[in-house]
This record gives sequence, structure tokens and C-alpha cells, in this order.
Amino acid sequence: MMAEQDATGAPLLSVRDLHVRFPTERGTVNAVNGVSFDLHEGKTLAIVGESGSGKSVTAKTLMNLLPRTAQVSGEVTYDGQDVQALAEAGTKHFFGVQMTMVFQDPMTSLNPVKKVGEQIAETLRYHLGRSRIEALEEAEELLDVVGMPEPARRLKQYPHELSGGLRQRVVIAMALACQPRLLIADEPTTAVDVTVQKHLLDLLDRLRRDRGMSMILITHDLGVAHGRADDVAVMYAGRLVEVADARTLFFDMRHPYTEALLRSIPRIDDPVHHRLDPIPGRPPELINPPDACAFAPRCIYAQGDCLGGVPELSGLVGLHRFACLHPTGTERGMAAMAANRAAGVTAAGLPVAGGHGGSG
Amino acid sequence: MSAEDLVTGEGQATGRPRTPVEGKASRERLLWRFRIVRLVRPGRVPDDSPAGDESAVRRRLGFSFWLAVVWLLIMAFVAAFAPLLPVADPTKVAFGGPREPPSLDAWFGTDALGRDVFSRTLHGARISLAVGGFAIVFGMVVGGGLGILGGYFRGRLDQAVGFVFFVLLSFPALVLAILITATLERSMLVVSLTIGILAVAPVGLLARASTLVFAEREFVSAARVLGAKPGRIIVRELLPNVVIPMGALTLLGMAVAVVAEGSLAFLGLSVAGEDAISWGKMIVDGAGLRDLQNATHVTMFPVAVMFVTVLSLNFAGDRIRQYFDVKELAF
Amino acid sequence: MRRVVLLFAVLFAVTFLGFAAMNLLGDPLVNVVGVLAELDCEGIEAGTAEDTTVDAASRDCDTVAAAKAQYHLDRPVPIRYVLWLGDMATGDFGTSFQNDQPVSHVIREKLPETLILLTMAQIVSLGVAIPWGVIAAYRANRAFDRGSTVASFGLLSVPNFALGVVLLYLLALRWQIFPSAYESDNFGGLVFSMVLPAVTLGLPLAASYQRLLRTDLITTLQEDFVHMARAKGLPPMRIMFRHALRPSMFSVVTVFGVSTGALIGGSLVVEQIFGIPGIGREIVTAVVRDDFPVVLAIVMLVATTFVVLNFLVDLLYSWLDPRVRAR
Repeated sequence: MMAEQDATGAPLLSVRDLHVRFPTERGTVNAVNGVSFDLHEGKTLAIVGESGSGKSVTAKTLMNLLPRTAQVSGEVTYDGQDVQALAEAGTKHFFGVQMTMVFQDPMTSLNPVKKVGEQIAETLRYHLGRSRIEALEEAEELLDVVGMPEPARRLKQYPHELSGGLRQRVVIAMALACQPRLLIADEPTTAVDVTVQKHLLDLLDRLRRDRGMSMILITHDLGVAHGRADDVAVMYAGRLVEVADARTLFFDMRHPYTEALLRSIPRIDDPVHHRLDPIPGRPPELINPPDACAFAPRCIYAQGDCLGGVPELSGLVGLHRFACLHPTGTERGMAAMAANRAAGVTAAGLPVAGGHGGSG
Repeated sequence: MSAEDLVTGEGQATGRPRTPVEGKASRERLLWRFRIVRLVRPGRVPDDSPAGDESAVRRRLGFSFWLAVVWLLIMAFVAAFAPLLPVADPTKVAFGGPREPPSLDAWFGTDALGRDVFSRTLHGARISLAVGGFAIVFGMVVGGGLGILGGYFRGRLDQAVGFVFFVLLSFPALVLAILITATLERSMLVVSLTIGILAVAPVGLLARASTLVFAEREFVSAARVLGAKPGRIIVRELLPNVVIPMGALTLLGMAVAVVAEGSLAFLGLSVAGEDAISWGKMIVDGAGLRDLQNATHVTMFPVAVMFVTVLSLNFAGDRIRQYFDVKELAF
Repeated sequence: MRRVVLLFAVLFAVTFLGFAAMNLLGDPLVNVVGVLAELDCEGIEAGTAEDTTVDAASRDCDTVAAAKAQYHLDRPVPIRYVLWLGDMATGDFGTSFQNDQPVSHVIREKLPETLILLTMAQIVSLGVAIPWGVIAAYRANRAFDRGSTVASFGLLSVPNFALGVVLLYLLALRWQIFPSAYESDNFGGLVFSMVLPAVTLGLPLAASYQRLLRTDLITTLQEDFVHMARAKGLPPMRIMFRHALRPSMFSVVTVFGVSTGALIGGSLVVEQIFGIPGIGREIVTAVVRDDFPVVLAIVMLVATTFVVLNFLVDLLYSWLDPRVRAR
């Protein structure tokens, strides 16, 4: 599963040094800080992070959905074309046809005043010039494809008449209408019932494979990425802190944040009443961030040098990259942990218990 | 900093500023029942977009606000001391020749009867502002009182109050006004009261809406739990909170009242008498086609002064509304 | 169903209010028979009072009695009200005190003018406000939007009568684009002569529609489904009109219902300025002359229109947002 090895041709989507800032009254919000990654045809990249980590903003930047006040720099190329230039030129039939997006909350991402069928058909009519009747027929097929029961009847229903899970299927059908090559799924299952989540994720995965799509799966849940993503990028405070192929990331992670995220997921084989390890502290401020590793205040490995500057993301795009001075699973990391245990506190002032893992 | 601090800190970070859910629900209900007052539109501010466009201007009033205030102060001064000002007698017929254009003697010219338009315009401020001011105060006392009672006690009383408001609103305002002023003696008091009655329903709906919101806030529940009597809760807890949004809308309401008085005067149904000069009356006096054609100044000066005054009221009122963060009203 | 009950309750209350106002604030008998109302007919009959009028007392007293009977003036006000309601229900709107014409005739004659005026005013205001609001929201906080905020403030601050006079002066007298007075020779001329009055009524309303629409549109444009529409690759104006506009029309529709009252009030003034022989002018004349059957009939008509229109607005909500239907 060495994802970086079979990345032979040019990537479908390539992001280089992406920065997004929002000027606000209280100061400039540095939402995305120098994000770079590649996505190859037919692959799935999971972007994982807490809320406020900049993953959604990254996705919206790719789709040119940011409010006008946003200041974007960096380069996004899709199939060799500059996406920003395409957007500014008002290129028709690019967004929605080449790349499209599925949003987090199916309750709000469907127009409440239009029938489901019309909303799917609209894309087909605008981009592919279908007639109303053809478009509705295709919409019915699409609903069938995404596993919607009684598709013909659903066409004539309004979004509020459907459950959350069914609505998200409609959104997916809508996104698939024009056979996009790239699908960005922004927390596609966060807002639906737990029981439906797996169905939807499997559906997305199956559709991606059947249609040879590439997918960016944005989630706060590493568990969602597991088994579905070819590559995983972990974001924290607007930066990528670790990028690797899925296997490496799950079994040989380097960044303490990745490790902490994994520890906070419940596992089937955990003993009953096993305590999860929450990540102490809160996500960092994005206005006037200190010149330090953003995770240091919550990191049990934190040393003095972590507070002396933002660690660079190591390595080349396509390889296992991480931004940590004392990576977990290395000698430097072990040494840092041992030192902190001995002191009972990290360099950033976080108390560390002497025992194993985090304390209560 | 202890570990507990950090852990509770996390809780704070995830818990957004709490919005009173019940309050929001009742506001929604209100919106559906009366559909007049827009207090809050349940909209989401997305996490990643900067705050709404109004907040930027909210905390400063700005130069043009003070400009409007200065104009209003001048008008108030003129209204209060018009008889003492060194201007011509506004009722003196043939102060100059009829329909003379503006000159050094008569700055705004003279009207068809040769009266000084400048002096009349200044004196016109008296009735317009007095009626406007009295009407909105009446509306606030009566409408505000009814609204608070209805909003606090709910139930039957609330339904009755709501019904009265709805009836008042269903009655075309100007028709109601001319009905009263045409049959009664058109004294200052009657005209003010008439327009005041028109102000009752809109002000009352606002007061009721704010009361509904505040009546479910913690400090009111706390007072209730502590055994405070309804009267005390209303006066000590609710009134100060409801008065702020109402007060913020005073100037806006006054603008409406001034226009209403003008309309009545235009129809010849405002305060009666030769010496009762009103802008609306002056405008209609010069609004005949021949006068408009040949002596435009007779109408246009009072139009201009009235426009600037109403604009100042609206503008200053809107700034104050934003300053106190009261949402827009749709009368 | 509850709304229908409310509708009738409001109608009763409104007409009763008007009825009571007319009856208690002035003596309607005076308006029918003039000075004869002063006659003490009972006294004359009993021989305790003298007839001071020129005519024979018995005839005058007959006239008074007939008038009292015709307008039920010998009954107390609440009963008169019920009788009047009964007459209204059977289509008998009574007879004008002024010229002995049936009130229904008066209304039939004057109503079309006012209806045309109000319809044109709403067309003008919506026709101006929707594109204006959409562009202002699309370019929110840019130069156009700021300019239109100032402009709408100005428009909202001009009283109807002042705007009417200014428009009349500029467009009819000075530049002579529109006729200065009402024309009824043919329908086209009628509509053309109504343009200025309709603009006078509609323009301030357009300003308030525009502000409401702009605010709501800006909120709607932040909704996920608008992002979704953009992600679907639809062009901005198509998103504006096909997706964002309809869910943003609530306030406008609400005010559409409420504004009818204001427009009718405005028509009193505007019909006066432009010499339109419509309901607005009629009611002013009737009120001044205490012609209370006419006043009451018009008040009843106006209130019914207002209440029914707001009832229709409720139905419109469910078209605007199908979720309302479910409630």
C-alpha cells in the first residue's frame, strides 16, 4: 500500500503553499497557513482535524466558495489548469462538472423550497443541456444509484420530507450528476445519525471506485479515514502537521497530535469502561498565532525548542511528511517524553503524570 | 494554570455563546402570529466568515449622525422659541406682495397671501414636532404598557391585547385619523392623541416581543423564584430592558408621526386655525398647478425643510437603533 | 380555520369601531335633516314646545321621523350597528347623505381608479425593489450598495404628499413628460396619467422592500444550499434568482400585506394631488361632510381588503416555503 510509489503520472489536483486569511474586527484570522499536497487520479485523500483546523476552509478554497473578504494566496492546479484563473474567468461547466462538493449538513445544503428532483435535474440541464424530462429521468436513475428507496416518488418531494440520511443521498446524487472527476466531501456524515454514517461512507467509497473518481474526504474522525483513504493529511491550526499514506499514518505516525487523535477514538477491542484519552486544552487561536508549534501547549512531548518557532513540514510532497521536532516513535520523541515525565510538566506548562498515557 | 483549567477551557471552547432556546422559539412563534416585528431572523453565521455587516458600524455613531442631531436641535430650538425669533409675523397678510420670489427681505419668498414663507416655515416646526413628539410618547406609554402586560402575563390578556393591536393595524391609519379629526374639534391635543393612537400598535408589538424574550431570561426567572411580585418584576426587571429597544426607536417613530401630521394637514384635517401653521398645510397651499408653476418656492421650501427634518429623524434614529443593536422594524 | 374566525372578528371590530366613532363623535341626524334635527318633535306633539322653523311642524317632524326610520337613528348604537351589518350582508350599502345616491353606486364608480392606482403602485415598487435589492445584496457593502442605502433612506424620508408635489412639479409641469392631471378618455391614457401617482406611492415602498430584501438575501447567501448551488457550478445570477430569491421574500411578502394599509392611506393624499376621482378622495370628502354611510362602507371595504390580503399573504408563505405547509 505504498501510495507514494505508484504516483507515477501528474497529479489530478495539486495544491502548493496555500494561505487563506480573513480580516476581521479583532484581527486577521490565519485560517490556512502554507498547505501543500497532491491528489492523484482515482485516489482518496482524507484531511483530518478538529473544528477550526482549517480543513473546511481548505475545501472551500478549492471550490472557490470563500466569501469575498478572504485573502487567498498559493497555487491550486487541477489537471494542469490554475483553478483560481478558471474561477476568475467565469469558466462555465468546470465547477460541478470536473470537481464538486458534498457538504456537511444535508439539512441545510438542499434548497428548502425546491423539489428534490428539480435540484438534481438543474445541474444536468445547465451543464449538459438536457431537457427537463430527460434530466428528471436521469435524476431518478441517480437517486437509484445512491440507494434511495422509491426514487420516482422522492423526485417530487421537498427536502424537509426526507430524513437526514436520505437527504445526504440526494446531495450525493446531485454531486454525481455530471460525472465529476473529483469529489470533495466535507464531513459528509457528521450531521447524520450514527447508524446511517457507515452506509453513506461505504456508498461514497463504492461510487468512487465504480466511477474512478478521486475524492477528498474531510473529517474530524480518524476512524472515518481508516480503510477508506489512500492518503491521510492531518491538519492543526491551519497547517498540515502530518501527511502520509494511510498505513504509515495509522501504524507509524510521527506527530504527537496524530497520536493523540488516534488515542481519542474508541476501539472495538478496548476493554469495557476503558478511558479514552481526551486531548487536553483547547484548539489554538488563529488570530495572531504565537511563533511556536501550535500544538505545543497541548503536547506531552513539548520541549523548549517547540516554543521557539513553527516547525517546518519535513520532506517532499508525496513522501511521509511531518512537522515535529520531537516526533513520536523516534529517539528524540522518547527522550522528550522521558524528560517531561521526570519533570512532571512540559515545557509549555502542561502537567504530565508519571504513569502511562494521559492522566484524569 | 492547572490541568482542570485546561480541561474546563476545552469545554468553554466548544460551547458557543449560549442562546436562550426558549426565547428564540417564542420569537419565531411571534413572527408567525403577527409577522410585523422582525426581532431576530434565525440565520447562521458561518464559522469561517467574518461577522455580519452591521456590527462594524454598530459601536460608533459617526459624523453624519451628529450632523442630523445638530439639525434636529436647531429645529427643536426654532420650534420652542419661534415667537421670540426676529422674523416676520407668519400670519401677517401682505407682508410683501403675493408670490414674491425669495429676496433679502423674505428669504423664502412670500405665498399667495403675501405672507413670509421663511417665518411660516420656522413656525411650522412647532406643530409638526410637538404633535410628533407627543404622539410617540403616547404610543410608548399606552402601547408599551399594553405590550409588556400582554407579553408578561400571556394567556387571555395577551390574546386580547394582540387582538386590539391587530384591529388597530387593520384599520387604515390615515382613515382612522381623518375619522377622528374630522368629527372632533381639531385642537392640538386631539390631533396629537389621534396620531398617538396610531403609534400604539407598532410600539406595543415591539414591547410585547421584547418582553417575551426577556421574560424567559434567567434574571427574570430568578426574581420570580425569589418570590418577587409580578408588578415588581415588570417594573424592576422588565421595564428597563424593554425601554431600551423602545427608546432606540423613538426617533424613527417620531419621523412617522411627523409625516402623519403632515398628511393630515395636507388634507386640511390637522390642527385648525389661522395661526396653526404646519408644514403640510403650507405645502398644500402652494400645491395648486398654477402656484407650482409660477411660485415653486411656496411649496419647495417647506418640502425641503420637512424632508431634511424627517431624514434627520430617520437617520439619527437608525444609527441609535444600530447602536443599541435593535433589529430593523417593518411598520 | 382559526384565521377565518380571526378574520371575521377583526372585521366586526374594525367596522364597529368606525361605526361607533361616526355615531358618537357627531350626530348623524344633523347630517340628514340639517337644522331640523334641533326640533323637539316629542315636545311639539305634546304641546310643550314650539316649532321654530318656517315649515309646518308636522311635516318637519314627519321628515325627521322618516329619516330616523331610514337610518335606524331611533335605535341605540349597538342595535343600529347590527341592523347596518344586516343591510351590508344583503348587499344594501345604504344611501349617501350627500347626494342620495346608493353607496354601492358610489363605490362602483370610484373603486376601479383606486384599484388601478394601488396595483400600479405595487408593480412599480416590486419592479424597482427586486432588481435593486438583488444587486445590492450581490455587491453587498460595495459602492452600489452603500449608495442605495443612502438613496433608500432619502426615499423613506419623503412624505407621500411632498414626493407627489415634487414629482408633479418636475415631471409634469417643468419637463412635461407626464400629464399633470387625471385622464379618463381611454384606458391607455388613464394608465399613463396614473404613472406619476403610482410612482409617488410606490417609490418609498420600493425603498423599504429593497432594504428588507437586501438584508434577507445577504442572510440567505450564507446558507449552505447557496454554497451547494455554487459548487454545482451554477452562475451567480442564476443562483440569485432561482435559489436565493424565493427563500428571501418573507419580509417583502409580509410587508406587501401590511403596506396595503399604508398605500390606501397614501392614496387619500395622492388622489388629492393628482385629481384622481377614486375611493381615497371620496372618503376624505365623505368624512369632512359626515356622510357616514359612505365612510362606513369604504372603511368596511378597506378593512376587508386589508384582512383578506393578509390572509392571502399567509397562503403565499406556504408557497415561498413548503416547510410551512407541514406545520
